[in-house]
Amino acid sequence: MATKILTVDDSRTIRLIVGRAFQPFDCEIFEAANGEEGLAAAAREKPDLIVLDVTMPVMDGVTMLVNLKENPELRNIPVIMLTAEAGHENVVEIGKLGARDYLIKPFKENQLVERASRIVELRKKTVECGTDHP
Amino acid sequence: MNQTIELSSACEFMTQHVVSVFDTMLSLRATLAAKNGLPFAAERVTGTAGFGGDNLNGVLYLHLSAATAARLASAMLRLPADEIPENEINDVVGEMTNMLIGGLKSWLTNCGAPCAMSTPAIIRGTCYAIETPSDAKSSVLAFESEAGIVAVEIHIRFE
Repeated sequence: MATKILTVDDSRTIRLIVGRAFQPFDCEIFEAANGEEGLAAAAREKPDLIVLDVTMPVMDGVTMLVNLKENPELRNIPVIMLTAEAGHENVVEIGKLGARDYLIKPFKENQLVERASRIVELRKKTVECGTDHP
Repeated sequence: MNQTIELSSACEFMTQHVVSVFDTMLSLRATLAAKNGLPFAAERVTGTAGFGGDNLNGVLYLHLSAATAARLASAMLRLPADEIPENEINDVVGEMTNMLIGGLKSWLTNCGAPCAMSTPAIIRGTCYAIETPSDAKSSVLAFESEAGIVAVEIHIRFE
């Protein structure tokens, strides 16, 4: 079964980069543009991992993480936080709230994959042979 | 504390940070241009975000020509520049602005001036100028890259 990954970011650019990072793997990617949509998507899809931006309109990533941890059905979904703020206090705060890991923007796609693979099993996609040949 | 030294230190940090953001997110090499100034272009795109704390506040602007913005979006999204709609180019410029202001915020916090930052906004147009408030210090850093010239303008007002 494909690993389900939910990317929550108001930037379509970052959602695209996150999706692209996991493209070589057997993953199903779900997207949400803010924390509110992210909570709904998490409840609906029960992802194996959430990649969550900190700064977003409507509901930010910290509020979404707090809500997630208060929900018994969703609290065990591991979360990697994405943040443009590298300050020590910020990172400590993210850890206290229950995020499994964090990644500071700018980041390379392989850094994200490496962090994710510490948390969930990522299987390389198998190359399927065409079956339309006679 | 000398305000001029603080602004020049912020500019030194920003020079390194721009190079890092270009390398990491765009796989492009950016180098500080010999001559500072805004890129001249018929149509410009500017990403902007603010920061503020007890000791200081300010604004960061990322200025690009529309053509350079499209090439940066192409590098980040790995799509042909002419296939990327304007709103997605704006999103890329906004995200780059977010990364630049996030780095500056962290640097300021580490320097003992903790602050918060705003979400980025985009200005796009053919003829506009940004004026520095009279009580703020400002600096413009221009960078050359394969995508074109980009300029980072920093305004800081010390309380």
